[in-house]
Amino acid sequence: MRSTHRASRCAAFRRGLLIAVVFGLASAAVAPVDAAVRPPKFDYRITTLDNGLTVILSEDHSTPIVNVQMWYHVGSKNEPAGRTGFAHLFEHLMFKGSHNVRSDEHLSMISSVGGEGNAYTTEDVTVFFQTVPAQYLPLVLWLEADRMATLRISQRTLDSEREVVKEERRWRYENEPFGLLSEILYDEAFTTHPYKHQTIGSMEDIEAASIEDVQDFFDTYYVPENATLTIVGDFESDYALQMVEHYFGRVPKAKKPVPRNLPREPEVTESRRLTVEADNWPLPAVVVAHPITYDGHPDAYPLHILSKILSDGQSARIHRSLVYEQQVAVSAFGQGVIIEDPNLFYAVALVQPSRTPEQVAAALIAELDRAKAAPPADGELQRAKNQFARDYVIGRISIEQKGMHLAHAQVIHDDITTADAEFDIFMNVSREDVQRVAQTYLRDDNRLVLTILPRGSRRTGQ
Amino acid sequence: MQTPRVSRIGALAALVTGLAVASPAAAQRVDWPSEQPPPPLLRRHVDFPEYQIRSLDNGLQVVYVGHHEQPAVNVRMILRAGAATDPPGQPGVASLVGQLLDQGTTTRSAQEIAGAIDSIGGALSVGTARDLGFIDVLVMKDSFDFALDLLADVARRPAFAPAEIERQRNQVLSGLQVSYDDPAYVASVVFNRLVYGFHPYGLPQAGTPRSIRTITRGDLVAFHRTHYLPNNAVLAVVGDVTAEEAFAGVERALGDWRPGPPPPAVTADNIPRPTRRLVVINRPGAVQTVIHAGHVALPRAHPDFMAFDVAIKILGGEGGNRLGSVLRTARSLTYAASADIAGRQIAGDFMAKTDTRSAATAEALRLTVDEIARLRRERVRERELRSAQDYLAGSFPITIETPNAIAAQVLEAILYGLDVDEIEYFPERINAVNVRDIERVAQAWLRPANLSMVLVGDASVFLRDLPGVGFDRIEVIPLSELDLTAADLRRPSRFRR
Repeated sequence: MRSTHRASRCAAFRRGLLIAVVFGLASAAVAPVDAAVRPPKFDYRITTLDNGLTVILSEDHSTPIVNVQMWYHVGSKNEPAGRTGFAHLFEHLMFKGSHNVRSDEHLSMISSVGGEGNAYTTEDVTVFFQTVPAQYLPLVLWLEADRMATLRISQRTLDSEREVVKEERRWRYENEPFGLLSEILYDEAFTTHPYKHQTIGSMEDIEAASIEDVQDFFDTYYVPENATLTIVGDFESDYALQMVEHYFGRVPKAKKPVPRNLPREPEVTESRRLTVEADNWPLPAVVVAHPITYDGHPDAYPLHILSKILSDGQSARIHRSLVYEQQVAVSAFGQGVIIEDPNLFYAVALVQPSRTPEQVAAALIAELDRAKAAPPADGELQRAKNQFARDYVIGRISIEQKGMHLAHAQVIHDDITTADAEFDIFMNVSREDVQRVAQTYLRDDNRLVLTILPRGSRRTGQ
Repeated sequence: MQTPRVSRIGALAALVTGLAVASPAAAQRVDWPSEQPPPPLLRRHVDFPEYQIRSLDNGLQVVYVGHHEQPAVNVRMILRAGAATDPPGQPGVASLVGQLLDQGTTTRSAQEIAGAIDSIGGALSVGTARDLGFIDVLVMKDSFDFALDLLADVARRPAFAPAEIERQRNQVLSGLQVSYDDPAYVASVVFNRLVYGFHPYGLPQAGTPRSIRTITRGDLVAFHRTHYLPNNAVLAVVGDVTAEEAFAGVERALGDWRPGPPPPAVTADNIPRPTRRLVVINRPGAVQTVIHAGHVALPRAHPDFMAFDVAIKILGGEGGNRLGSVLRTARSLTYAASADIAGRQIAGDFMAKTDTRSAATAEALRLTVDEIARLRRERVRERELRSAQDYLAGSFPITIETPNAIAAQVLEAILYGLDVDEIEYFPERINAVNVRDIERVAQAWLRPANLSMVLVGDASVFLRDLPGVGFDRIEVIPLSELDLTAADLRRPSRFRR
C-alpha cells in the first residue's frame, strides 16, 4: 500500500548516485533516427453502468491472467484542511473488511489463488489493483464491489492502521536520506492549492483523523460515479460485462454529487531564493522550480519533451553540463510534474563538496535559460522523441501497464481516446513549441531557488 | 483461447444462488447480500512460452525469447563476474569494472556511447551484482544490429581511460558517503559482513572508501581480461525479432570473440558457521530502527532450496508471512515485515527484516526472533503450507507474463547450473513439498540461537530495553566509527573522527 508514484523519485535519485555514470556530449557522429516504429493501438470497450461506474475492458489473451484496477478519482488534493494524509490512510482502511470480507482477507484471498494485489494513492487518485489467474476474475470483482458498497468502519481499525501509516511515513520519508525533498519543496512552492502538502500527510493530521472523517470520505468519494474499473487480460468482454453488471450494478448511486471545487493557486509573480536545513540530508542540494500547466493542456506535451531534452539520459543537458563538464554537481536531474492540476517543473542538483550552492544554482539556471534562448537542435528534439517512443512502448507490455494507461486517460483526461492519441501529439511537437513553452513557464519572475543544507551546517559554518 | 460455455453457465448459476441465499437483515448500510466468494471459472491452460538456447563455438550461450506485440528488443548479457569474484582484500573491483564498461571503449569515447544510445531512444545499462555482471541494451526493433554491436563493444573493448576511472572513483566515493547515511544500506552491509565474514559475499559490493581509493587501472584491466570471456557469459535476446535473426546477429557481432581459460572458481572456504551476534549501529536522532536477523543457509542449486524457500515464505513472504501478521496486523509496529532467502552461487542466507519506531525496537526484535525459532520448533500447519503453495504455484503464469521475465528465469537457471527444463514445472514442484519437508529443512538449516542480528537506529532510546526481552552481549558501534573491514567492525581509535 504505497503512498505515491513520484515519491519514489527521491529514492531513485539517491540510488542513482550509487551507480551514477558520467557521460558527455551527444555525439555528432550518429545521424538522427526517425521514431518510425509505431506501437500498436489499444483494443478496448468502455461503458457506464446506471449507477455511474465507468467500466473499461480490454482483452489480451497472450497469458491466462487478468488485471483488475479500481480507480477512485480522489487523492490527497481532495483532503480537507487539517486532514493531510487522509486519502492514503483511507486507502489502508479499504483492506480492513466489508460485509462479506473479514479484515485483511481481501489480499489473503487474492494471494491464495496465486494473485498479487496492492493499492496506491497519489495527489489525484487512489488505485486498487490486482492481477490473478484468469479464472479468478469473478472473485476480484466480488471483492471490489463488496468494499465499494459496504466498507466496515471501526475505531479500532482506524487506530491500528493509523500507527501503520505513521510507520510508513517514518520509513519512506523521515528515516531516508533526502526523503523529505518533496515535502520541503512543495510546502515552499505552493501557497493555496492542496498540492502544497504531500500525499503521506503530516504526523499531526494523521493523528487527528476521526471516525466521522472516515465515514464522510467514504460517502463522498467512494461512490460508483467517482470510480473507474479497468479489466485487462484473458477474458471475453461480453461475459465479463455481465459479471460486472451483476456485482457492481447493485452498488447504490451516490446520494450527492462528488465535489470538484479545489482552490486555485494564485499566479507566481516574483522570483524567490531561500535556504533551509533538513534532517537526513547528507549533501547540500539546490532546487530550481517553476509553476507549469496541467496534464492534457496543449503545452504539456512540449513540456514533457523539454524535460527529456534537459534530463533524460546521460547525454541530456543538465547532467552533461553540471556533472560531466563543469563538475559542480555530484548528481543532477530535472522533471516536469505534469498531473491533473497545474504543478511544477523542477531541477535538483547535489552540490560537489568543493563547490558552492550558488555556483550550482547559477549552472542550473543557465541551462534553463539556454532552453529559452534558442530552440533545441533537430537531433536533440529527435532524440527526445525517440526516448518518448521507447518509454511508450516498454510502458505498455504488461496487462497492469495497459490498464493503467487506459484508466489514466479516462480518469485524468476524461477522454479514453487519449490513451492512443497522445503518441501523435508528441511526435508532432516542434523545436519552436519547445522553446515557446520554456519561455512561457521557465520565467525569471516565477522562479523558486531553494537550497537545502544538512541540519546544523549553517551553525557550524560548513 | 475460448472459455468453454459450461463454465460460464456454472458461474452464472453460482451468482444466482448467491443472490438467493442473501440475507438482507445482515446488510449494513445498504441492502447487500451475505454471500460466499464466487467460484472460479474453468481453469485455463498455461503454455510456457517458447524459448531457444544455442551455444556459439567460443562458448557463449545464447537464449532467445520471441515476443512480437511491441516493436522492441532487449539484449542482455550476464557474466560470471560479480562481486563474489573480487580479488582478495579488494572489494569494489568487479563493480568498478562494471561501471566503466560504457565509459569509453577502444573505438568510442564515453560521450559517443551516450550520444549514440540516447539519440536512437535506446537504453544501455551496465552493472554488477553478487554473482554476475550485466550489460543490458534496449532498442526499438529497427536498431537490433546497433544494439548487438554496442553490447559487443562495451563487453570486449572497454578502454579504462584514466580520466574516466577518476570520474567513476569520485562518483562511487560520493555515493558511499550518501549510502552511509542510509540506514537500510548500513543494515544490509553489516548483516552481510556478520553472515559471510571476510568472504567476498561479506564485503560491500560497491567497495569501501579505502578500497575504492586504492584500486589501480591495472587491477581493472586484469579483472576484465580474466572474467569478461564468451565462455563465462550468457546472452539473452528478447523481443520482436525472429530466432534466426537473433542467432545470426549474435554470431555476427560476437562470433569472433576469443574464449580464454575459465576464471578460478569462487570457493566457500572462509564462510563462517552461523554465530550469534547482536550489533547495534548507533544513529542518534533516528526516528526508526532497521532490524535485520538471519544467518548463512544454502546455495541456490542445493536440493533443499525449494522446500527452504517455502518455509521462509511462511515466515515472511507473500501467501504466508507470520512476521507480517504479528508485527503489522496484530501489533501495528511496522509498515512492513518480511523474510527472504538469498540463494547464491556457493552459499546463501536467509534474512528477516522490519523497520519500527525507535521505542518499539526491543519488542519488534523479540517477536521477529521468536517467529524464527517457532518455525524450527513447531511443524507448520497444513493450511499454512497450502496457502503459501497456492500463492507460489498459482502465481506462476504471472511470473511468465513478460518476455523479460521469462528470459530472467532462463538466465538464472543457466547461471546457477539448474535444469532449465524444470522452469515450466515450477507449480508441480512447489506442490510436491509437504509439511515434513518443511520440518526437515527447518531443522537442518535454521539456527535460531545463532542469529546474526543488526539494529540500525538511536541506541539511546532502546538499548536499555533489550536485556529485558532476553538480549544481552550487545555490541554498540557509533555509525561514525563503523569499519566493515575490521573484525570488530570498528575503526581503530587513532582513525576515529
